[in-house]
Amino acid sequence: MTVLSGAWPKMTSSDEFRFLSELVMTRSSAEHTIISLRDHHAGTTRFANNQVIQNVDARRGMLTVTVAFGGRHGTAGTTDFTAGAIQDTLARAERIARISPVDPEYLPPPDPRLFPVRETAKPETMAAGPVKRLEYANEAIGHCRMENILAAGVVSSSSTAVGIATGNGLFGYERRADARFSLTVQAGDATGWSAAAHRSIDHLKVQERTLAAITKAKRGRDACELPAGRYPVILEPAAVAGLWAWLIWSLDAKSYMKGTSPFAGKLGQAIVDERLTLRNVPDHADLLGEGFTHEGLPSTDSVWIDRGILKQLAYDRFTAKAGGVEIIPTLEAPVLSVEGPTVHSIQELIKSTERAILVTNFWYIRPVNPRDLMLTGMTRDGTFLIEKGEVVSAVKNFRFHESPLRAFQRLSAWTAPMEAVNSEMGKMLVPAMALPHFHFSSVTRF
Amino acid sequence: MNTPLWDEFAELALKRIAASGAEYGDIRIQDSSMEQIEGEDCRIASIRDVRDIGFGVRVLYHGAWGFAATSILSLEEVPRVADLAIEIAKGSASVAIEKVQLAEEPVHRDRVVTPYRLDPFSVSLEKKTDLLLNTMEVLHRQSGIARSSASLWARRDRKLFVSSEGSHLEFDLLAGQGGCTATALYEGGFASRSFNTQHLRKGYELIEEADFPREASRVASQAVEKVKAPAVDAGQYDLVLDPEHLSLTIHESCGHPSELDRALGYEANYAGTSFLTTEKRGNFRYGSRHVNLVADNTESETLAATGYDDDGVVCQQWDIIRQGIFVGYCTNREVAAKVGESRSCGSNRADGWENIPIVRIANIGLESGEATRDQLIADVKRGIYIEGHGSYSIDQRRYNFQFGGDAFWLIENGRRTHMLRDVIYHGITPEFWSSCDGVADRSFRRRYGFITCGKGQPGQSGWMTHAASPARFRRVHVIRGEGGS
Repeated sequence: MTVLSGAWPKMTSSDEFRFLSELVMTRSSAEHTIISLRDHHAGTTRFANNQVIQNVDARRGMLTVTVAFGGRHGTAGTTDFTAGAIQDTLARAERIARISPVDPEYLPPPDPRLFPVRETAKPETMAAGPVKRLEYANEAIGHCRMENILAAGVVSSSSTAVGIATGNGLFGYERRADARFSLTVQAGDATGWSAAAHRSIDHLKVQERTLAAITKAKRGRDACELPAGRYPVILEPAAVAGLWAWLIWSLDAKSYMKGTSPFAGKLGQAIVDERLTLRNVPDHADLLGEGFTHEGLPSTDSVWIDRGILKQLAYDRFTAKAGGVEIIPTLEAPVLSVEGPTVHSIQELIKSTERAILVTNFWYIRPVNPRDLMLTGMTRDGTFLIEKGEVVSAVKNFRFHESPLRAFQRLSAWTAPMEAVNSEMGKMLVPAMALPHFHFSSVTRF
Repeated sequence: MNTPLWDEFAELALKRIAASGAEYGDIRIQDSSMEQIEGEDCRIASIRDVRDIGFGVRVLYHGAWGFAATSILSLEEVPRVADLAIEIAKGSASVAIEKVQLAEEPVHRDRVVTPYRLDPFSVSLEKKTDLLLNTMEVLHRQSGIARSSASLWARRDRKLFVSSEGSHLEFDLLAGQGGCTATALYEGGFASRSFNTQHLRKGYELIEEADFPREASRVASQAVEKVKAPAVDAGQYDLVLDPEHLSLTIHESCGHPSELDRALGYEANYAGTSFLTTEKRGNFRYGSRHVNLVADNTESETLAATGYDDDGVVCQQWDIIRQGIFVGYCTNREVAAKVGESRSCGSNRADGWENIPIVRIANIGLESGEATRDQLIADVKRGIYIEGHGSYSIDQRRYNFQFGGDAFWLIENGRRTHMLRDVIYHGITPEFWSSCDGVADRSFRRRYGFITCGKGQPGQSGWMTHAASPARFRRVHVIRGEGGS
């Protein structure tokens, strides 16, 4: 291959975004004008049955204009960045705003400010193209072919130019890049899985993760069936993150204020084990922290759960103002940690366990009951029985029926936070954890 | 809008592909308009009007795929993107073992237009926002309602598909939907109830034909009844499922496992595989004799009825399950050839110009039976009638599922009595469908569309419609969806 997609396309630069913003601003007749940019270029090499099945590369630029006249607002967007199309987009936004009803929750754009500068665009990821992606895919496939088992997965990389500009002088522009690798290895009826996401494509650890997935799949053969019920569990980081993702998504402040939140009345109260702390750490090198949000607010360090106590909610600007909250925290780079002595690895957790179910990952997690955050989902790609400190057998996958607010009330043991990512959520740092009780409600056929 | 320039772009791309030595290539140029109006708690929270234009070029070179796309639509960009797609395909080919061979399809030259009476993009915004504000006001008239929402959505896709085989297809497609939700509070608990119009390929008449004030009044009243209703006692119940609820059950437990790319392992890393493996076709008992699940991408107004798919294959009708036996898959030209089919059934769709088409679920519907809904209920001693969508989850091979719903009524001795809450049922797909012992007649048939069916990496949203009449299932496991269970 001779094409290096690092040279194509030329993404919208800060100066170009400023030019486009001024083009809108000078023509806008609105009281408030906000221009947002998302120019996204991504490529994915996808493989299955040990060969490439899909190999794609796409660039999509979107400019969005929001205008307001006295609390009446409207938004229009376009992928066409020519002057005529942008003027048309402004005209459409103005037309919408002029005839919209007054929104009692409308707020003017945030005041101008400087945003934190973060290393969100690693050059090695920005330069990565189909050649690099194919190289990594081949590496994973090669290991699986040697073991005579089947690989299915993706290697992807993306580069995004993100910007926000407002008529009152707020301006933010950031380049973001990330790379992802995920692999499902099939050994007959058994599967093993591993995944990574990182700002640097060089940190995907393709070989290490491929070998881990292969080990899982080989261990997963001849799964036995255990009855549904309550079991002690060891949840690997991806499984912990899958449950915590739903907890995080349920922290909406407006629902809290209106009484339609599982946390209603619990701000300032203990909601999980008193050793658990959830923070946002956007500067962490292994997380996907950002400089600012789509609303033009800075992303900052913040504590959400402090030693089990709920300290923070996810505010929209109106609810924050109504509640007297001056600094709106973000949670795009979550770190869940446990106070106290840790064990060094998942292997050590297993060794110190008398009997438990080891869960690699959960799949299709969905809310069952928004009142108590009851969730359901399936175990996937490596579920094992541990007895006397050893993995003694693979077990058929369980469906769980459990609320993270109950499951994480008491932890038995844990590791330090580790990288966790799966197909249904972003990236987090969370420990692997041993929990004394977890409710598996039924069993599937494999 | 499709202009003569689009044909020039297509010709330019296909010339590059032909010169490269590739055996196949196509280009899709698309101009989409989307309008979304969201109301929340008696205010219009947002009105968005998005114009999304771009093109994607797909190349099959020595049996391997390459695809490139961009939102910059210009004479300079077309050859650049076509060349990138060719180079990517050459890279894929360099490591290919089994070469892709496309099932044959005649060359088509056609234009497909959604018939409509009222263009949703021409209806005034005032009229639409008035409708939503009035709907939310009706929801809040009911004592006990704490929160409300209402929305309208419309999308138009103008698309040109041109292939190196000579197919030239123009599309002007429309779709719309609307709905509202009420949330009631009672003694520290809360519960929601929704009304949704069907997602259909129709004009704004879809919204006008739905009586939003009447439906808002109904769901507000039912939300209050639901929040005060007793939680279900776990146990075995006969279930009578309404068409909107069944649309999701069909989607998850029949639609996805019938996608042939899943059965062949293409989705093993994400959406999953399928228990309906290829050796089961023609002999596996999926359900009872009452269960006839038919894919029909030709039924007018349904989401997957687009005339042709994104392989340029004519939309068709075929059986998935006939008298309980698994007999057919959803396919595209690539996977159809892998299992020896002479032709794709035309179920290959991309969610926009920026994505490569993949096998999607067709408009799979449950064929109607002969009973009335009341007859189905009359023959139930202890059961539950379920309407609408709630919680849903299913394993990656589509065996073990669990569904909730939007509203539940206890059936006792053949009569629908009071509402219940927190009903969750679970089962194993073929056992569940084998417990079906009755389907209501066609007069009860309703169609519900999906526009957020997630599949593929990068992720895409699939569109399809599932039609059904109410159906009855015997002795299904029901649990209580709350912490006390």
